Amino acid sequence: MKRVVSVSLGSSGRDHKVQVELLGEQFEIERLGMDGDFDRALAKLQELDGQVDAIGLGGIDVYVYAGNKKYAFKDGLKLMETVKKTPVVDGSGLKNTLERETVNYLLRETNYLNKDTRVLMVSAVDRFGMAQAFTTAGCDVTFGDLIFAAGIPYPIKTLEELEEMAGKLLPEMTKLPFHMLYPTGKKQESRDEEKAKKYAQYYRDADVIAGDFHFIKRYLPDNLNGQIIITNTTTAADVEFLRQSGASRLVTTTPVFEGRSFGTNVMEGVLVALLGKPWEEVTPEDYMDLIERLEFKPRIIDMAS
Amino acid sequence: MATHEEITGSLQAFGEGYQKNKKLKIMNKDWDRVILIKAADVDSQHTLILKNGELTVTEGTPAGDPDLVVTADSETLADLFYGDITPTEPYMNGTLVIKGSEDDIVRLDFISLMIWGE
Repeated sequence: MKRVVSVSLGSSGRDHKVQVELLGEQFEIERLGMDGDFDRALAKLQELDGQVDAIGLGGIDVYVYAGNKKYAFKDGLKLMETVKKTPVVDGSGLKNTLERETVNYLLRETNYLNKDTRVLMVSAVDRFGMAQAFTTAGCDVTFGDLIFAAGIPYPIKTLEELEEMAGKLLPEMTKLPFHMLYPTGKKQESRDEEKAKKYAQYYRDADVIAGDFHFIKRYLPDNLNGQIIITNTTTAADVEFLRQSGASRLVTTTPVFEGRSFGTNVMEGVLVALLGKPWEEVTPEDYMDLIERLEFKPRIIDMAS
Repeated sequence: MATHEEITGSLQAFGEGYQKNKKLKIMNKDWDRVILIKAADVDSQHTLILKNGELTVTEGTPAGDPDLVVTADSETLADLFYGDITPTEPYMNGTLVIKGSEDDIVRLDFISLMIWGE
């Protein structure tokens, strides 16, 4: 049996373990939350190194992208470099393929997305492939990176401006402790009431809300008006929470095992374990080929039913 | 070691950089803050006031309690506000101490990068 473990800086309240068969191979897939404790995450990674088939890093980005530029978070690199033997991934490789394809799938197979559909991407540098796909589709996209990561109520409206901002800010901001820019640990379990009120209009003005689920959840206002949510890492409780909040549909970009949509880091770990080659040698085409063979498709939950 | 006058000069350069950046003024319209800048090794204090997106720099301490207090040695402060160094590294290694909320610290870092960033 192949074993893939995701070590997340997020809450242990979201821990989960499943066994699945993929392309004839048995997999045990587990997510372990470290409740925002960076040192505990380092120790767990050292313990797992060489003992499992792949490791995913959750609740933290190592690499983010804007245009052709790639930026690395110092905290994320520190975690990644702790692992010496086992392939370790942060999901960024798969995001570029899978999430771009999710937008294309929705364009092809549904009427959810059209030219001028108003899309709020709560953050785009961690999902640049998805951001490009929405833009290419002609959607009216608001990139909320400054709003939700830095608390600056300035909606970015074009990929060009996003790249310009990223070029100015990310080389330095990636050196800050990750928790200063992203909700980790217990913060993932609570809403930021003040900012949820302050930024409610960005949510309500959108037809589609897409991106990182912890950002979406932390600033989600009380009453949505039928928005479609495109995200992943949702639990059954999250689905119910979104239903109660007034979302009309939930589209998850990663497959659901036992009611749980795992993070892209977990799924990238699974794909790397299946490919059996060093992560540095894996190409987007390898991922695309496997995604097709595994028949991974976005899962759509109609909240009205 | 930098003098009080050099720190004043650096803060004026920072203020001019801010004034030229129209986008930054829009971005900070919601962020009214009083920031005290203190040198640890010379007698030098300045106050930055952000109100309705406009920034003013004055010598001395503010009338009331500041929202943020930025303390560093005079050389670091002058280098920082002239844009010769970014705030992240001195902040991370403890040379630059900022007292205030974490959100405000990120915001101040952001302003500096918007003025002097690549």
